[in-house]
Amino acid sequence: MERIVTQFVAALRENGIRVSPGETLDAVQALALSRVEGRKASRALLRLTLVKNVNDIPTFNEVFNRFFSRFQFVDPQADLPALMDAAITEMEGEFTYLNERQDDDHDEPGPLIKLDSEISPEDLAELKSLSEIDPDDTDGTEMQVQMKGYRGKAQKPPRPTRRYTQNPLTIDLSKGNSYADSVTFSPEEQAAMQDVVSRMMLRLRKDMKRMKNNQHRGKLHVIRTIQKNYRNDMVPFQVIMRRKRREKPRLVVLCDVSYSVSHASRFMLLLLHTLHNQLLDVRSFIYNRDLAEITEMLANMPVNDLMETIDTGDIVDLDENSSFGQVFLKFKKDHLENLRGRPAFIILGDARNNYDEANDWVLDEIREKSRYMLWLTPEDRETWSRGDCLMDLYGSYCDKVEVVKTVDDLSLVVEDLLRDIYADQAHPIDRKLLREAKAAQSYDPADYYRRGSSESSAPAFDPEGRKHW
Amino acid sequence: MVSTITQQAVSDFLKAGGYIADEAIATAVFLAIRMEKPILIEGPPGVGKTGLAKALSSTLDFPLVRLQCYEGIDEGKALYDWEYGKQLLYTQLLRTQLDNYLSVSADLREAVERLSAEESLFFSENFLVQRPVLRSFLSKKRSLLLIDEIDRADDEFEALLLECLSDFQVSIPEMGVIEAKRKPLVILTSNGTRMISDALRRRCLFLYIGYPELEREVAIVRAKFPDLCEDLARQMVEFLRKTRELNLRKPPSVSETLDWAQVLSILKANQLTSEVVAGTVGVIAKHQTDLQKITELATQELS
Repeated sequence: MERIVTQFVAALRENGIRVSPGETLDAVQALALSRVEGRKASRALLRLTLVKNVNDIPTFNEVFNRFFSRFQFVDPQADLPALMDAAITEMEGEFTYLNERQDDDHDEPGPLIKLDSEISPEDLAELKSLSEIDPDDTDGTEMQVQMKGYRGKAQKPPRPTRRYTQNPLTIDLSKGNSYADSVTFSPEEQAAMQDVVSRMMLRLRKDMKRMKNNQHRGKLHVIRTIQKNYRNDMVPFQVIMRRKRREKPRLVVLCDVSYSVSHASRFMLLLLHTLHNQLLDVRSFIYNRDLAEITEMLANMPVNDLMETIDTGDIVDLDENSSFGQVFLKFKKDHLENLRGRPAFIILGDARNNYDEANDWVLDEIREKSRYMLWLTPEDRETWSRGDCLMDLYGSYCDKVEVVKTVDDLSLVVEDLLRDIYADQAHPIDRKLLREAKAAQSYDPADYYRRGSSESSAPAFDPEGRKHW
Repeated sequence: MVSTITQQAVSDFLKAGGYIADEAIATAVFLAIRMEKPILIEGPPGVGKTGLAKALSSTLDFPLVRLQCYEGIDEGKALYDWEYGKQLLYTQLLRTQLDNYLSVSADLREAVERLSAEESLFFSENFLVQRPVLRSFLSKKRSLLLIDEIDRADDEFEALLLECLSDFQVSIPEMGVIEAKRKPLVILTSNGTRMISDALRRRCLFLYIGYPELEREVAIVRAKFPDLCEDLARQMVEFLRKTRELNLRKPPSVSETLDWAQVLSILKANQLTSEVVAGTVGVIAKHQTDLQKITELATQELS
């Protein structure tokens, strides 16, 4: 029984469920204790001891069914011919699979070669008796070997690098979704986003908490100290410090919602919306040729409704060509003056200006007003100066330009940014610690591997692009 | 009784206690009792996670010790605390004795030595406030420790629990390690608002309680409200199962089912109509938007 359990655990591990040796021992002990009978009971029992996460339960059930179907008890009195038939049907499936394999890959059938079955090994070594035959004219004593056709044909020319438009920002769950019908977020997508955010929060939490604790570093709070130590006869065992006020970091986000990058900006909006209440004070703008603030709407409307409203073009006209120059001008005119604090600035867009005026000098002014400026583009580094793309020009004004292609990339970028912002506002001691931690981290090559490791972007993401900036 | 228990027995005595358990729950309880391992229960709110602990405590006759978790809970609230006030009071009251005791000593050094020899007096169980975990460990009878909504606590607190849950002991720096007299049956519940760390999960049996199947839910209603006729109970549960698929903000769970059953039995309803639903919808819907959706469903399904 132990062997079966360990094999089963190995199967679980192969399918990505983490099972520790301790849990395996538990399972064995539990099986011994309960003397279970029946498949259902033993499944419940193994699940209790081996699976520790709700999300793993479906995988577990699948693995269980697959694994223990092999051990199903066969009654010796059972209908053996029927069983044989079933086995043969199963096997046939395998054979057709083999057959199919032969003619894929655009291979043409090559010439048939005769291989005499009564051939002596010596002859075979010299390939003497190999001769081409007519497929219709065989006497059955020879084996036929079908040569593969011209192999060179099978190798397709390297695919031209696909434009980002064909390769929209996707997350694992939305892989099947085509561009057009993913206007709103499915519950799975929202859950996946929550998942990304919660993972991010988990990573950030430690640092945040320490900084929060250090908020207490201030002057002595006399009244609360007395209150707290009343029971200790006024001996100040516990000292309460005045909390230093600190505001949430401010963030201004400009999201391109034109068709070319709309997927990315949607996720950006959702991500920031999710973060808004927890960590950040975000002002969000969307633009195409026109610019509009949607902070209020994000706060008050369900995300899906908002996405639909944006899609109908009621907020900004989506049929126009996007123009970054116009947008920057409008931003300067309407919003730049009343930005409070020194917010961090995130612009998401492909910088394809449709040959309009660049107005890049506005970015210089925005830069002066902001603590940090980050440009997120879904385009690869090589295309930054091709065609109407002004990324190289605009990029020179930014503190950093990042290539993001998946939600995971996006969350990592935003996390980095948050760390930076918090580090700026932190207590001097913390600031030093954080800087050190960050410096130590940036030498960790694993970070690069993790970044963009989500399947959809793995080949396309180029870490070199980051280093240049 | 506990050493000879079987799975069937668990499910039977839970039923006697008014808790209808399915096989997974019965197996989990059985294993937890026999293997002396904590159970971590996850699931949507109101499916009877805490209810299981209560039912177990009353049927097994284990005194229930409940620890409600919240953000910022620490060892002073969960494990033990020192009674500073009492310590101060005692030193004040015992001053004369202390004077006499110390006046024998020749010099200051000796006095300090004498005093420190008696130090353990002041850090003894006399001045220890037992918080839930320690209380359940030191209970003379085997107890049931319910750590409720562990996902609300911080992860530091989770780490604090690791020692208690795997070895059933509490380390107190001033006194040393205190081991449990009788290992309690530990039940942790979580609503899944936060991921519980793997370290804690590994130490527990993991039980997911979802919404019950139709038959079990009917049985639950029938067990709690025997005077409600079976047809109505079935109709009610079937309707609620449909509302759970409506993508509501707060889908009605078993506790809502029971509330509703109570309301219906008070109203002496004997059939579910859209009017009845409209009149009592507040029991099952907890948001304005849900309210509308459920009333719409009722007019579609029941009229």
